Amino acid sequence: MTAPVTPSAIAAGQGADAQPVRRNWIWFVLVIATAILPWFFYDWNTGRHSGFLLTMLSQMGMMIIFSLSYNMLMGQAGLLSFGHAVFFGLGGYSTIHFLNAAEAGSLPLPLELMPLMAGLAGLVFGIVFGYMAAKQRATAFAMITMGIGELIATAAIMFHNFFGGEGGVSANRMIERSLFGVDYSSSIEVFYLILAWTLLAALGMLFLTKTPLGAMANATRDNFERAQFMGYDPRRIRFLQFALSGMFAGIGGGLYAITYEIVTFDAVAAPLSANAVLMTYIGGATIFYGPILGATLITLLQSGLSLLSNAWLIYVGVLFISMVTFAPAGLAGMIQAHAPVSRAGRMGRLVVPYIRLSIPGLATLLGFVGLVELASFLTIGEAQGKTLVLFGNKIDVHEVMPWAVAVGLLVLGGAWLRFEVKSFALVWDDVTADLKQRSV
Amino acid sequence: MTVPALSLKEVRKNFGPTEIIRGVDLDIKLGERHAIIGPNGAGKTTLFNLISGRFPISSGSISLNGTRIDTLEPQRINRLGLSRSFQITSIFHRMTVFENIRCALLWSQGYKYSFWSPLWLQSSLNRRAEQLLDELNLLGRRDLQAGLLSYAEQRSLEIGITIAGGATVILLDEPTAGMSHSETEYAVDLIRKVTEGKTLLMVEHDMRVVFDLADTISVVVYGQVIASGKPAEIRANRAVQEAYLGALTE
Repeated sequence: MTAPVTPSAIAAGQGADAQPVRRNWIWFVLVIATAILPWFFYDWNTGRHSGFLLTMLSQMGMMIIFSLSYNMLMGQAGLLSFGHAVFFGLGGYSTIHFLNAAEAGSLPLPLELMPLMAGLAGLVFGIVFGYMAAKQRATAFAMITMGIGELIATAAIMFHNFFGGEGGVSANRMIERSLFGVDYSSSIEVFYLILAWTLLAALGMLFLTKTPLGAMANATRDNFERAQFMGYDPRRIRFLQFALSGMFAGIGGGLYAITYEIVTFDAVAAPLSANAVLMTYIGGATIFYGPILGATLITLLQSGLSLLSNAWLIYVGVLFISMVTFAPAGLAGMIQAHAPVSRAGRMGRLVVPYIRLSIPGLATLLGFVGLVELASFLTIGEAQGKTLVLFGNKIDVHEVMPWAVAVGLLVLGGAWLRFEVKSFALVWDDVTADLKQRSV
Repeated sequence: MTVPALSLKEVRKNFGPTEIIRGVDLDIKLGERHAIIGPNGAGKTTLFNLISGRFPISSGSISLNGTRIDTLEPQRINRLGLSRSFQITSIFHRMTVFENIRCALLWSQGYKYSFWSPLWLQSSLNRRAEQLLDELNLLGRRDLQAGLLSYAEQRSLEIGITIAGGATVILLDEPTAGMSHSETEYAVDLIRKVTEGKTLLMVEHDMRVVFDLADTISVVVYGQVIASGKPAEIRANRAVQEAYLGALTE
């Protein structure tokens, strides 16, 4: 047989597949930066780490695993699940029981490998529920996963032996068995454990996208009939993808159990399932790293914004709706759209248009935030006895002036923004058309 | 007598009270290039959907190389060596051209549902995909998203996907529909080349393509085969002329 293919063509192809190291340098930098970040907030006088930061970073790690595992369904297989927290939570509950067994001496396993056990638990539940859900796709699949979510949430309240009822179940992570002789008494040690597992799980899931199963999951997502006429059973593909996704979600839940040493009903309940959708969608489901961005942003908002505002959930909701409406490919999609422009060295042309866009954008945002905060201080805030303070000035939410300013900013800023969006679109079209011209 | 590659006996199909296929008997010999022609709505595509397992038949039987396939699901039929293309281009639009072809190769290369083989290291698989792209004249489009190909290129890719798995019986549903004259000529050459030594069954409206490619032609009118034979016989057949060809040669 003759081989008409040049070696360079094959090398280029494998390069595109294997994603060469130099194109991923930013991820190496980010991992290293995350690893050393806590030391910038270390208090050398008291010898203490910032608990706030460590909790937030640990939470990010779990949520990154959780949303990446969710995207194995949503982005990669086109399956919209409304019950993904089930696998996270069950992984967590199982880990609590594993930890208790370890402390009692009946499970001789080091703490570092507990997330692996959580993953196995997630896999088992993924197989069981995947058997129920994966025969279907589209709406029927979504409905079944929602049913499974409700089922487990109810079970978590009913079956006290395993779930501990309303109070949940708790354990002690210091099981005095470690691969590295660490006792995990401090949260920095737990943080490094989570960092390592997040890295492992993310690489594992990235690997899966580059296997026959990963490729065929995309194939059934795009055109399940075509996949059938290639010899593949779409139900089998959905089932395997579902079970493996449950495994990774279980790992995330295991880390949750280790971090908080308690798992309650919240870990399997619908709000967390909804969070998976939110994080994945905002980050971008069509690109592998999208959920990483989404999980990071939502966790930041959860831990940061929630301290600043009673109404922070409204902002998350509005962010979600705006992303779905205006940027369905998510944050990652927005970044990806700029990649060809950046490669062609044309980002300079976008600087001024972006500045012009950001001024009315900021005004609109301020107006909106103002209205929400005024309303929130008028109701919840007043009940809590809080007063709105802006730049050191107390603002009386019963006066007309602050409301008028907020409405004005929102309406005028919005109108101006609409105008600027149109002119930005023209510049954008011009730049991308120019790029196309040059590539042909 | 040798077993026909594909054999339909008394095949019927009704959608509700309407009978679309009304007792079709058809034998496709091994290695034959067989075209099905007939007016719009005669049931040609439905026949394809029945053979390939996309729809279940209402009664009768279909055999592939002597094995009954009429109760099997599409993927089972495909694994027995039958592959089909679609009238409306059916490719993976969001994947690259290369990935499309590679997906089509996976099952026949024995990868099944593997989630442990890294695709980028499967050099013989990747080489085979590249060779196929070369045969399809799509190597230059290798890393382009399939949805961005021109229409004619998408049709070539569709043919490539259909034959990639090494099926011995190929069903092509209007492979040249919507193509210009030169594109059609190119497609005919391509079909001839890639179905060499295989059994081909195709639905086609373009009579030039039919008489150019087919060794045998069957005419389907109103859910029944009214004639089957060599191109010259079909051309001379009175019933066919009345039912179908007459309208075209005017």
